[in-house]
Amino acid sequence: MSHRNKIYLSLLIGLVGASACQKLDQAPTYEYTNLTYWTTPDQASSVLNTAYSQMLPNDYFFYNEGLSDNAYNGRGDADNVFSISSGSFNPSLARFDQEWDAHYQGIKTCNVLLDNIDLIPNYPADQKTLVEAQARFLRAFQYFQLMTWFGDVPLFVHDITLAQSQTIPRTPRAQVLSFVLSELNYCQANLPVNTAVPSASLGMITSGAALALKARVQLYEGNWAAVAGICDTLINTTTYGTYSLVSSYSNIFSPTNEHNSEVILDEEFVPLVRTYSDLFDFIPISAGARDNALAPTQELVNDYLMTNGDTITDAASGYDINNPYANRDPRMTATLVYNDYVWTNPDGSTQIIYIKPGSDPSSARLNEYVPNGGFSSPTGYYIRKYYDPTAAAGEASGLDLILIRYADVLLMYAEAENELGQMNAGIWNQTIGALRVRAGFTDAGATTFNVAWDAGALRSIIRRERRCELALEGLRIFDIRRWKTAETVLNGYPHGAQYGDPTIDNGFVRLPPRSFDASRNYLWPIPTYELEQNSQLTQNPNY
Amino acid sequence: MRIDALCKGTPPKRSLLTKTLLMTTRLTAVLLMTACLQVSAKSYSQNVTLSEKNVSLKKIFKEIRKQTGFLFFYSDELLQQARKVDIDVRDAPLKEVLDRCFKGQPLVYSIVANTIIVNVADRSSPPEAIPPDPILVRGRVRDSSGNALPGVSVMIVGSAQGVATDVNGDFSITVPSNAVLHISYIGYAALNIPVNGRSTLSVTLHLVQSAMNDVVVVGYGAQRKGNLTGAIDQITPKDIEGKPGVNMMQLLQGVSPNLIIQQPDPSPGASVNFNIRGVGTMGDNTPLVVIDGITGGNLSLLNPADIESISVLKDAGAAAIYGSRSANGVLLVTTKKGRKNTAPTVTYDGTYGIQYSKILFSPLPAWQNAIYKNESLTNVGQSPIYAPADIQALKQGGDHEWFLKSILHPAPQQSHYVTLSGGGDHSTFLLSFGTVDQASNFVGPDYGYYRDNVRISATSDYGILKASGTLSYAHDNLKTNSYGNAFLMADAERTPTNFALQDSLGRYLTNSVLTQFNPLGILEAGGYQTTNNDDILGDFSAELSLGKGFSIKGAFGGDVHFNHSFLRVKQVDFYPQGQYGNLRNTGDAYSQSIFTNVNLMAEYNRHFHEHSVGLLVGTANESTTAESSNIFYNYTDSALGIPVTGSVVSTGSATTAQSPYVTSLNSVFGRANYSYMNRYLVEFDFRYDGSSKFAKGLRWGFFPSVSAAWKATDESFLQGVREHFGEVKIRGSYGILGNQNVGNYQYLTQYSSFTPAYGFNNSAVAGTAFTFANPNLTWERAATFNAGADAVVLNHTLTFSLDYFNKLTSDILLPLTVPGTFGGTLPDYNAGKMRDEGWEVSVKYNLNGRKFKQYFSANIGDSRNEVVAFPGGQQLYGDAEMQTVVKPGVPFNAYVGYKRDGYFQTPDDIAKYAKLTGITPIPGDIKYKDKNGDGVIDANDLYVLGNPFPRYTFGFTYGASFQNFDLSVFFQGVGRRDMFVRGELVDPYQANYSYNIFKHQLNFWSPTNPNAAYPILSANGSPSQQNDYIQGSNLYIFNGAYVRLKNVQIGYTLPFGLSRKLRVQKLRVYLTGQNLWTLSGVKFLDPESTEFNNSLSNTNGANQSGRVYPTPVFYGGGLDVTF
Repeated sequence: MSHRNKIYLSLLIGLVGASACQKLDQAPTYEYTNLTYWTTPDQASSVLNTAYSQMLPNDYFFYNEGLSDNAYNGRGDADNVFSISSGSFNPSLARFDQEWDAHYQGIKTCNVLLDNIDLIPNYPADQKTLVEAQARFLRAFQYFQLMTWFGDVPLFVHDITLAQSQTIPRTPRAQVLSFVLSELNYCQANLPVNTAVPSASLGMITSGAALALKARVQLYEGNWAAVAGICDTLINTTTYGTYSLVSSYSNIFSPTNEHNSEVILDEEFVPLVRTYSDLFDFIPISAGARDNALAPTQELVNDYLMTNGDTITDAASGYDINNPYANRDPRMTATLVYNDYVWTNPDGSTQIIYIKPGSDPSSARLNEYVPNGGFSSPTGYYIRKYYDPTAAAGEASGLDLILIRYADVLLMYAEAENELGQMNAGIWNQTIGALRVRAGFTDAGATTFNVAWDAGALRSIIRRERRCELALEGLRIFDIRRWKTAETVLNGYPHGAQYGDPTIDNGFVRLPPRSFDASRNYLWPIPTYELEQNSQLTQNPNY
Repeated sequence: MRIDALCKGTPPKRSLLTKTLLMTTRLTAVLLMTACLQVSAKSYSQNVTLSEKNVSLKKIFKEIRKQTGFLFFYSDELLQQARKVDIDVRDAPLKEVLDRCFKGQPLVYSIVANTIIVNVADRSSPPEAIPPDPILVRGRVRDSSGNALPGVSVMIVGSAQGVATDVNGDFSITVPSNAVLHISYIGYAALNIPVNGRSTLSVTLHLVQSAMNDVVVVGYGAQRKGNLTGAIDQITPKDIEGKPGVNMMQLLQGVSPNLIIQQPDPSPGASVNFNIRGVGTMGDNTPLVVIDGITGGNLSLLNPADIESISVLKDAGAAAIYGSRSANGVLLVTTKKGRKNTAPTVTYDGTYGIQYSKILFSPLPAWQNAIYKNESLTNVGQSPIYAPADIQALKQGGDHEWFLKSILHPAPQQSHYVTLSGGGDHSTFLLSFGTVDQASNFVGPDYGYYRDNVRISATSDYGILKASGTLSYAHDNLKTNSYGNAFLMADAERTPTNFALQDSLGRYLTNSVLTQFNPLGILEAGGYQTTNNDDILGDFSAELSLGKGFSIKGAFGGDVHFNHSFLRVKQVDFYPQGQYGNLRNTGDAYSQSIFTNVNLMAEYNRHFHEHSVGLLVGTANESTTAESSNIFYNYTDSALGIPVTGSVVSTGSATTAQSPYVTSLNSVFGRANYSYMNRYLVEFDFRYDGSSKFAKGLRWGFFPSVSAAWKATDESFLQGVREHFGEVKIRGSYGILGNQNVGNYQYLTQYSSFTPAYGFNNSAVAGTAFTFANPNLTWERAATFNAGADAVVLNHTLTFSLDYFNKLTSDILLPLTVPGTFGGTLPDYNAGKMRDEGWEVSVKYNLNGRKFKQYFSANIGDSRNEVVAFPGGQQLYGDAEMQTVVKPGVPFNAYVGYKRDGYFQTPDDIAKYAKLTGITPIPGDIKYKDKNGDGVIDANDLYVLGNPFPRYTFGFTYGASFQNFDLSVFFQGVGRRDMFVRGELVDPYQANYSYNIFKHQLNFWSPTNPNAAYPILSANGSPSQQNDYIQGSNLYIFNGAYVRLKNVQIGYTLPFGLSRKLRVQKLRVYLTGQNLWTLSGVKFLDPESTEFNNSLSNTNGANQSGRVYPTPVFYGGGLDVTF
């Protein structure tokens, strides 16, 4: 080798040596690892925020109405509500597993937070308790939703490993129930009242929310005395917060009136930033919808009283089948859209919603009912409740979704007292009466208590009141399940407005039939996938 | 180089038997000697310098072989008769030297290919007939491109006489008029040409393609094809010439067996799927790409004109040197370099043509469509929606152009490549420029894809140092509409034809079916999305030859990649209502990655008599650093797209701090090969890799392979086979290959912040998500067995390769199936086992007449995968109606669903037969097979319905040339694939868009058509619809097998004389057509459409609904010029 070549050789080796290798020990620079995370209180809050975000998928809030007799899902199969309500499903239907997953994901977030929060040094005890109580509320809420749909479900209070999740059995529903109640007791004692929440934290879970959720849990169990007691506390004391009815029914759901005096628990959204767009498929087409995927049924419309307090079937009600929307419960107009409805546009102008076929004077006829397959409503009704005139393009709305409101507490109170045989004018005035007055009823026939009503009549009145007051707020399916009326109202044809073949069902549009099997459908099936993954799980009866 | 042993007992007698034996011996020896070529592609001189006194012929032969590479065949007995010679020549032609040595000897020689055969001078042959008078024959020898070939040996068969061609390729020789001339030149297929009394001859020699002596690029080196022990296929520019593909990947479809290229979306710039030998893992199946020795390049950004060769490394024997990344196969791309001692040459290669959209389905006239719509309603007891008067009005109103036709138009596609290259004694250079431009068939402003390439490459020898470097830059740009092709297609195709897209004022119309969107309006005025890549790829290497077969080499290379995408949604107002793009999004996303690769290697190659030894050992590091940022604004300025008052930064915006990563891989690798007598070859390869993707203690993996080959026809007992048939080699390999294609940092539990998670009082707050670690994560391993054979037969006209492989991948990296109760997902685990088994065959055949030459090339491969073990037993994945399953015993992600069992024909039938829960069918609805016989159709009645991955992929090329005309025809296809198509193309009046039926759907059930292809027409939401279409069944499974006339070319090359007058070396013009004809099992959709990517992940969901950009048919022309 010549001298010169030796130089080149050394240069070459030098070059290669100089381009030093990257180390094999690499750690992410954009996220924390288990070694670095649990160091400050802010880290705990951040995980808690995740748990809040998992409280309830907004799609479920809306589309669950399609599982009930309040609304019909005529387009697509959002959250499988069409499949479930038509009865054509088996345990491998996606929704069942999605529902299961959604709640256990929320539970995991809470468990990871609760299991690790003690690793954070120098955490002021009161702050830590506050975070823990919120996490325990959210976890209890998830378990409550799980047991409501599925009955017995695996219950655990610490994060579980993969291996544990593959073998954990179902816990009897009664144990889940008692866990939920005892957790809510802790929350109610350790969370602030609504009036003590600083404005920047509006939306955080309060002691009142814990109490109200407990009322709902007891309501679903039919533990009337417990319900009555809790509601009485919420109504008649301020120990767990101060609540009252908002003077205008429609104003409860207004973007300018979030966190109003009626809100006990809500899911928070932020305009433009954290939004939902469900209304894009609900409102009249000419009001900016893409199409219609969920439409109120004639059965819901029929349940709204006349302004005189009569039902439309009462002989003296004054109901005119040719002018069916006149003189009806004012809440109907705040809830849904019917033919010739006067819709207020975001700019304050109005438009008439022509739904009856052939009635639209313009050629567009966007909202008109078209039998089968149109983009317009299959029932002849659209949704108005939760319409947000300030929503961004595509109806992306930041309007908070109210999960428990004071009106619900009043209705629970009324129902419980009636079931306990204790309904009277005083309770009536405090509950149903108050709601009707607030709704805008002025006729004494609607607002005053009638001593002639027996408990059965009152039961009908209270249940109808509950349906109309809380329509399209995601609660109807749970009510008809606990009343065990689902097998009645969820079998047979749902209907739309009177635009159909006059020889069929008096011309009320007959929609594809629903089916509900009382022998099994009061509980959802344990998802097939979960049964495959965990041999310890058992199936609900008759699936 | 001793063959005494072989020839013992075969004295040179003149019997037929001994002649045969002798011939056998002779050929064996030739094979033996062929094998002694070195690993590196060394070029031999045909001139000899010798100065010897009184030496044996044997010694001289040895010296000549050393200098020329020519091999000698003789037996020792033969040489015992020879006398010793004196010789003193300097740089003399081989033939001259041989003539001198053989002068006066009782021996003669003949040259066959690059072998010199020594034989006894035939003095005793009887004068059978009076020889005819000799004639003078003049001739010229050229290569297939028309270049003169100097130094070609022209021998009279059966004599020792011969001449060589001069610098112009000319020769003249006096021969008997019935003589046969043997014309041979190293590297070219030799020809025997009967003179037949002619006085002039024009001879064209063809390079021996894919013959055993081709040099094949292998991992960190090159080997003669004949010496390969692994399964390697080599693709050359000839395989892709003149095909109007936009990127390399498209061009590779069908050219190599089991190099499976699928183009799920034929729109400009869309990515293609590529696999080598199918799907072997449930994780990432992407093969490793190595460009000029640097790993990880982007094949689709290369200029196809820059490709010198692509080696497809398939088995463990070939790929193990790439260790942890090689389990899915390796593509080794070598780019062109200049050639030494070549005058600067400019080549231009360009094509231009027009692409036409071919839509395979069509709508009915609106009035007929309406009649069927009524039928779909009345069938299920609903009222018809069109009164007779409405239908009459539709008929009289006539039809507008179908929207899908209106939004498509013919579009040009062109490519231009210029290369300047050359070289001197010690250096070479190459400069190339390329541009390719494919316009979109969608109407609208400049949609399409273009790419520009520049490449500079140089090599230099400086003493014992060889240095080379390449630097290339690629820029591409894809401009698409802002909405997405799939929805545009869907909206356009499913609107009945009584509606118009625009009114007389030019307003974009919406209608009762398309209430919100107008596809023409979106395409023409709705904004756009552009995606650019800028890629700088370079490599520098230096090699020192230290003598005695020892060399060291260092290489440094890298890839700097920038990606930028920009979305601009413009608001379009429709009439009478509806708006597109009122969010007015402007999105800007940027990412960059820097990849570096350092290799240092030492190599040793030596021959010791019958033994050849090669050793290679090296170390390498590969590192990637990457970062990205993006910002998305809503409500931007409607004219400029810039943020203004009211603009909002939308979710998903991220700074560079959000997802940077660094990965690193350190490696030691090596190869040892040994051959004995060049007949028995054995090779050992290994790589020892350490990866940053795994935790300490688990990050190093060792990947060995052993392979061997036996040149069977070199054996004496098979000499007859060799003589009458050709060369046959048998290969086998076994090894362990790895796969580390998983996300980064998975061995750590990660807590990542996301925003907005939630809000309080209308202020957004961040949340933290977490992914639990798998600290035990490590390599995936694929035990790979391969057996194969190569043959070159019938005088080098037919080459044949056959391989069988069987790969068992264990510890597959995949996310575990997790019970929902666990509450979260897990990172990848080493779980699962899968087998991939198959075979491939390729055949090439040349049939060369004097003027009419033809070649045939065919390849076919099959891979069949099967899940062997899967944690949790099985997993079903649902997507719309269909489900896929992962479970042992069936192909990965096989389709599962109900099986059709005809239709319910009568109410009685319905009463008797099993049904779905909750559904009351009517006659004409589908009956499903009750697999378990329990009287109800449910999840227990699912069948495995099909394998979505293509099998029996094949390519076939026929080429012919007649004088200056040439023709090539290329077919490509898939022998078997199950294709899942749902949505409006299958389901008439489909759920959400229930306004149309297409012509191909008319064979539906009716009482008079009880055995129809499709069930009774039914309406959305009806039990019939639920029964027939909302269920995943084999109604949706179609036969995705196809054969496609992918390319046809007809070319004309200017005659040599004429092109010389034009001062060009070569000029060829051609017509070329692409995708000209397809025969397929599915008639209404392109059979290549698939929802899956190359790892069988469902990434193109829209394709399942048939919403795929129509495959363009291309007609064009091209020009190749060399100056």
